[in-house]
Amino acid sequence: MDIKLSVKNLEAFYGKNKVLKSMTLDIPRNKVIAIIGPSGCGKSTFLRCLNRMHEVVGGTIRGEILLDGDDIMKKDPVDVRRKLGMVFQKPNPFPTMSIFNNVAAGLKFNGYKNKKQLGEIVEKSLKQAALWEEVKDNLNQSGINLSGGQQQRLCIARTLAVNPEVVLMDEPASALDPISTTKIEDLIFELKKDYTIVIVTHNMQQASRVSDYTAFFYLGELIEYGETKKIFTSPLNKQTEDYIRGRFG
Amino acid sequence: MHEHFEEELEKLNTNLLKMASLVDEQVERVFTALDTKNIEMCKGVKAKDVEIDAYDNLILAQCENILALFQPVASDLRYVMSIIMINNQLERCGDIAVNISQRIKKAFDHIDLIKESGIIEMIKKAKEMVKHSIDSFLNKDIDLAYNVIMQDNEVDKMNKQIFKVLVERMKQNPELIEPASHLIVLTRHIERLADHATNIAENLVFYIEAKIVAHKKKLSNRGIEDEP
Repeated sequence: MDIKLSVKNLEAFYGKNKVLKSMTLDIPRNKVIAIIGPSGCGKSTFLRCLNRMHEVVGGTIRGEILLDGDDIMKKDPVDVRRKLGMVFQKPNPFPTMSIFNNVAAGLKFNGYKNKKQLGEIVEKSLKQAALWEEVKDNLNQSGINLSGGQQQRLCIARTLAVNPEVVLMDEPASALDPISTTKIEDLIFELKKDYTIVIVTHNMQQASRVSDYTAFFYLGELIEYGETKKIFTSPLNKQTEDYIRGRFG
Repeated sequence: MHEHFEEELEKLNTNLLKMASLVDEQVERVFTALDTKNIEMCKGVKAKDVEIDAYDNLILAQCENILALFQPVASDLRYVMSIIMINNQLERCGDIAVNISQRIKKAFDHIDLIKESGIIEMIKKAKEMVKHSIDSFLNKDIDLAYNVIMQDNEVDKMNKQIFKVLVERMKQNPELIEPASHLIVLTRHIERLADHATNIAENLVFYIEAKIVAHKKKLSNRGIEDEP
C-alpha cells in the first residue's frame, strides 16, 4: 500500500489531560479516510494534530506523524498547514473579501503577486471545488453572499488554491442541506484523484458513502481501522459494531 | 430510534415465525399423507398456501420499509437481508408442498411403488431438513445450520437412487410408466425442498458469521472469484 501519512504512537494532551492515546495508523495516498466516533472521542483533535493546529489551541503532541516519510513535528508549522489543508464544519469565508480574494488569500499570503497566475489558480481551484460555473461572473462579489453550500465549496477552493497534498475535513457537510451535502460528497469523490482526504463525520451514511477506509475512535483510542466496506458490513470489534448500529451506551 | 428499530425487527421476526410454522405444517401434512397412506391429509394444502403467499408479501414490504427508514448496517443489515432471502425460500417450500400434494393424488394408487422406491425416507429427511433449518434460524443455532447444509448431499444421493429404481421398474413393467413418471417428478420436488432448507441454513451462516457459503465448493473448483 502506498502510504501518504503514517501516524505512530500519537498522543495528544490538553495540559495533563491525555485526549488521544497512542494511536497508530497509516493513511493511504489518494484515498478518503473517514474518522467516526461519539462526541469527545478525539476525532477533531486527531485532525488538528495532523496539521499541527492542536498546538495553536494550547495542546501538546507526542509521537510521530510522517508525511511521505518526513516527520511533520520537525517541520515549519506554516509549511505543514499548507501541505495539509483544513476545511471546517462551518463555512468560514473571509467576510470582507470578494470570492476571488477569498480563494487567492492563501496565495497572496505566500507572496504570489502575478495577477495572471493568481487568476489561473483561482479559476482552477474554483473548478476543482465545482463552484466555478456558479460564480465565474460574480468573482468580485462578497463571499458571504453565497449560499451555505456554495460558501463551503468556496472554502474548499481556498484550501485547494495553496496546492495541499492532504485535505482535512472536519464535518464539512454537517451544516448543509441534503443537496449541498450531495455536492460536497461528489466533490470529495472527485478530489481523491488528486489528494488524500481525511474526513471527520458524525454521519454514518456519509462515512460509508464517501470513504475508502474508516477509523472508529472511542474515548481517545483507535478501536478499529479498516476498509469501509468491511467496517460497515462485518466489523471485528463489538464496540465498533454497536456504534455503527446505533446501539451505543 | 433504537427502540423503534428493535420493535420493527421484532414484528418482522414474528411474521417470519408465523410463516415458517405454516410451511412446517404444510410439509408435515404431505409427509404424513405418504407415510400413513392417508390422502385426506393432502386436502387443504393448496388453500393454505395462500396464507404463506400473504406472509411473503407482508415480510418483503416490512423489509423494504426497514431498509428505507433505518438503513441498517453490519449484523442488522445481514439480518434483514437473510430474512428477505429466507422469506423467498419459505414461499418456495410452500409451493413445493402444494406440488407434492398434487403429485401424491396422481400416484396414490401405487403406494407400494412409493414405499419400495424409498420416497418416504427421502421426504422424511427433507422434512427434517426444513424443520431444522427453520429452527436454526429462529434459535440462531449455527451448528444446526451447518448440520442441515451437510445433509443436502444425502438427499441428492437418495434422489439419484430412487430415479434408478423407478426407471428399472418402468423397464420391467410398462404399465408403471405413468405412475413412476409422477413419482420421478415428486422426488424432484422433494429434492428441491431439501435445497431450499439448505439455502435457509446458508442464510443463517451469512447472518451469524458474515460469510457466504453458498456455491463455494463449485466456484472454487472452477477457480471463479466471488468476492467483491
